[in-house]
Amino acid sequence: MRPFRALFAKELVVLFASPLAYLALALVALVTALIFFDHLRVYNQTLFLYASTNMRGFDTGSVPDYVNLRDTVFFPVMETLGITLIGLVPLVTMRVFAEERARGTDELLLTTDLSPGAIVGAKFAATYLFVAAMMATSFVYPAMAIVQGGLGAEHLAAVFLGLTLHAAALASIGLACSAWTGSQLVAAVAGWAVGFVVWDFGWVASFQLVSEDAVRFLDALSLHLRYGSFAEGIVSLGHVAYFVALAAFAAALARFSFVWRRVSGG
Amino acid sequence: MDEATRDAARGVAVEARGLARRFGAHVALAELDLRIEPGEAFGLLGANGAGKTTFLRLVTGFLLPSAGRVAVDGRSPVDDPRGVSRRLGFVAETTRLYPELRVRRLLGFVAGARGLAGADARRRADEALARFGLEGVADRPVGHLSKGFQQRVNLAQAFLHDPPLVLVDEPTSGLDPLQQAEVRGALGALRGRRTLVLCTHDLGEARALTERVGVLHRGRLVALGPTAELLGGADPLALFRGERGAA
Repeated sequence: MRPFRALFAKELVVLFASPLAYLALALVALVTALIFFDHLRVYNQTLFLYASTNMRGFDTGSVPDYVNLRDTVFFPVMETLGITLIGLVPLVTMRVFAEERARGTDELLLTTDLSPGAIVGAKFAATYLFVAAMMATSFVYPAMAIVQGGLGAEHLAAVFLGLTLHAAALASIGLACSAWTGSQLVAAVAGWAVGFVVWDFGWVASFQLVSEDAVRFLDALSLHLRYGSFAEGIVSLGHVAYFVALAAFAAALARFSFVWRRVSGG
Repeated sequence: MDEATRDAARGVAVEARGLARRFGAHVALAELDLRIEPGEAFGLLGANGAGKTTFLRLVTGFLLPSAGRVAVDGRSPVDDPRGVSRRLGFVAETTRLYPELRVRRLLGFVAGARGLAGADARRRADEALARFGLEGVADRPVGHLSKGFQQRVNLAQAFLHDPPLVLVDEPTSGLDPLQQAEVRGALGALRGRRTLVLCTHDLGEARALTERVGVLHRGRLVALGPTAELLGGADPLALFRGERGAA
């Protein structure tokens, strides 16, 4: 356990020593703020429009039901934030394994008491912690919409869990990509590509050769579906299990990259 | 005297039997039979691409052999990687460190990764700083140090757990003559106390630091014998061209 803790601590030090980490934190906070205030602006303009065209619109009940904080601000913010994270999380994960390989420091790690499994575990754990911090930084705006929209503390908790699991899933994908290359750029691009593909498999339906069963199966694997459920305030064990399985699969892929390198030398 | 201290005092044996490694069609190491005795300072020589680093990587377990086996103190890096890693210190080329970490933190990290506990890890790190003359730069990032100091850090991390076997790969590559002398001095102090396996293409380094050398040419061991005898001839570079048979 001691070697694991040593690597975990080292990873956190290296993460927070990198300007890229602060850039990612700042970008997530900034993008979330921009998305939130943009939707809030549209919401306010819509309300103003109704209040102006129907004198005392609120009192006469002429504002349609769909013009509310939940549907006009909160859900669109969550949707856009989910997609934005696909672009940002690989910026954090791209260096985690690829940099070790490019520098040759993975050889130093493997001559210590650290097994490949411990290396993967410590690096995944440190990255998840950073991602959770990233989500906490950006959560203030969705939280504001939830509180003002009267959705309740349970909904708030479900959304934070969903956001963190979604970001952790993207981190898992990014880490698995980073483990298979020595190039941070390749790791980032692969993380984006796989993230966007897994986000929503709906595009597969446009290929006539793919059977409906296959489309349904792939659709069930979409991140979008699970993430959307948390945004609705629903915490399903099945969805949590999906994210855990995705993380385990990514960790196994990263672990296998060490075995592959011992065999191939590549 | 505990087992680790006893091992550190006399070193451990490294033994290769029919050891081979291929990368696709390329044979990096071919049927190597070699025994390095406990406490011996052994040099593995050869031109670039001769198979020296491949041999070290097979000993550390970073690579799997295509055929044959290698053992450190009777332990295989394939079957008992932790048993082997606890017995060896590995000094790779200078750049294989974490440039953003401060020297003391880097040594603390390696000590922790080697399973050393808090107070013990700090004591070992302090001893390594003193032993390799790094106290003055202990709080500077590794990347801000000169190549010579970086190589001292590299040596310090390899000795933290007091291993009975030290594997050193091109330790003076890219260093100026003064820095080379410093590193050779540090390695020379090991003679007789640990098993030293030094991979180099620098004949002067091999003469200064080793008792016996083996020469690899295109993955094959073409010469093996006492350093003075093999490198004392008129044209020792002929060995690098594979022009002499094994002694």
